[in-house]
Amino acid sequence: MEEKILLKEGIDIDLKGRGGDTPPAEPNINEYDFFVLEEALNLDREEIIEQIKEAYLKGRGGAGFPTGLKWEMALAEEAEQKYMICNADEAETGTFKDRYLLENVPFKVLEGIIIGAYAIGAEQAYIYMRGEYARPRNVFSKAIEEAYKQGLLGEDILGSGFNLELRLIKGAGAYICGEETALLNSIEGKRGRSRTKPPYPIQKGLFDQPTAVNNVETLASCREIIRIGAKEYKSLGTKESRGTKLVCLSGDIWKPGVYEVEFGQVTIKEIVEEYGGGTRDDAQLKFIIPGGASTSILPAEKLDIPYCYETLAQAGSSVGSGAIIVVDDSHNLFDLMVTVSRFFMDETCGTCFPCKEGNRQVNHILNKVADKGGFSKEEVEIVKSIGRTIYLSARCGLGQTSLNFIYSILKNYPDEVLLGGDKHGKD
Amino acid sequence: MGDVSFLERLHNLQDTYGYIPEKEIVSLAEEYDVPKAKIFGVISFYSMLYTEPTGKFIVRVCDSLSCYLNESDDLVRAVKDYLGIGHGETTEDKRFTLEVVECLGYCGEGPVMMINDKVYTYVSEKKALNILSNCL
Repeated sequence: MEEKILLKEGIDIDLKGRGGDTPPAEPNINEYDFFVLEEALNLDREEIIEQIKEAYLKGRGGAGFPTGLKWEMALAEEAEQKYMICNADEAETGTFKDRYLLENVPFKVLEGIIIGAYAIGAEQAYIYMRGEYARPRNVFSKAIEEAYKQGLLGEDILGSGFNLELRLIKGAGAYICGEETALLNSIEGKRGRSRTKPPYPIQKGLFDQPTAVNNVETLASCREIIRIGAKEYKSLGTKESRGTKLVCLSGDIWKPGVYEVEFGQVTIKEIVEEYGGGTRDDAQLKFIIPGGASTSILPAEKLDIPYCYETLAQAGSSVGSGAIIVVDDSHNLFDLMVTVSRFFMDETCGTCFPCKEGNRQVNHILNKVADKGGFSKEEVEIVKSIGRTIYLSARCGLGQTSLNFIYSILKNYPDEVLLGGDKHGKD
Repeated sequence: MGDVSFLERLHNLQDTYGYIPEKEIVSLAEEYDVPKAKIFGVISFYSMLYTEPTGKFIVRVCDSLSCYLNESDDLVRAVKDYLGIGHGETTEDKRFTLEVVECLGYCGEGPVMMINDKVYTYVSEKKALNILSNCL
């Protein structure tokens, strides 16, 4: 298999080799050519947006909203001040692609931010980075500092007449702040609780002004679209999934890491077996989680499908953030459910009561179930009922997706998780 | 509080004192003209900000799914045993505070441990105890 390289541009990290303790060399601004930025600043705002729309780029943070459309709406808003925000609050379990980009190709991300800000007419931008990302923060802070010195930020960028201030905001340990409205509250110095939508950030975002919030990989992809042109970008991938995607392989696998995949050209099975080298110690693959802990699992026998938005949706799951977590058959399913459930119980922001209390109750039930080694029919009903309630009443993605993992385990492995006498009760 | 610098100020206080003392909360409340509880509410929302003194070394061990699949539960147990404290606790000599946390973003290299700003990956129990014994 050949990797279609756009985002990674030949830079690779050998995870096994460096063991994290000796990080790769820091990128040098003098060795980077900002020609794509220069080209973009010579285009009209509408032309850039047209390119992104034509490329049919979907947001790479997890929700998959069309980026061009977001920018078009942001540009159309009339306001004295608009904001561009780069969401670098990567915290979905299994996801580390944005850290990869921030550490290895920070200038590409920087170009993406500037291009996005220019396209929507924002003169103030922020990059909100999770507090735990100390090294990416150091690398990117330096990139910002040097960019100011070289006239790539500040007034009259590259003689274009466009002004942009960019500031890094350090998060303080809250998964929910990756949700765009919670992120806005956090930048405003408040508790990172989600807001009710509408109004959407595009209309009333940071300090009630029109705001575009885009993921790190999304912005880096925008830079690539301007570089190679929308036509070439959209020739990659499938009808609903254009271009490439960074996938993060982790779990029970020989070669974990960040890989760039052209949508639709490889199957999930190939990603696991050929990129990832298959499951460790010749254990049997049990299932994978395709897009982080908030997406539904896909059992081993259903992985022979091309990796793209449409096939994953058909299979009842989602591309999500691109975090493929591989799980072999050596684990106790109850322990895995307790682990994932604890994540959501710890990370709910607590605003919507069903999400706050529901996830706590589910965790409580799962601990009980793990102790006795199986669900009773009644316990399954309670978990499902709590799940429905959270799904219907939580106002953000965290709550709505918090039980996908548990649900999909119940659905795929009823015989393994139901107590003996209740096994015939599956629906 | 309605100010992009607010979170940064909290981080600075946290870095200065190792926690955010009440006298600073009182003065922030006066400056922003909001009740003390509101400032406290913001601080307590974020897991990296503390209102009680922490140890010199804040040890964060990831126990999320990807690390769990790489036996992070053994690592968590070994670190707890070595330090003699549980999640959220500080050793008597004020050297260590232990946090068992969700995802540190190094999922391909688990199990993962972070001490203050430094991340350690592929942390075996032996490696962990070696690292901790060098935290002086």
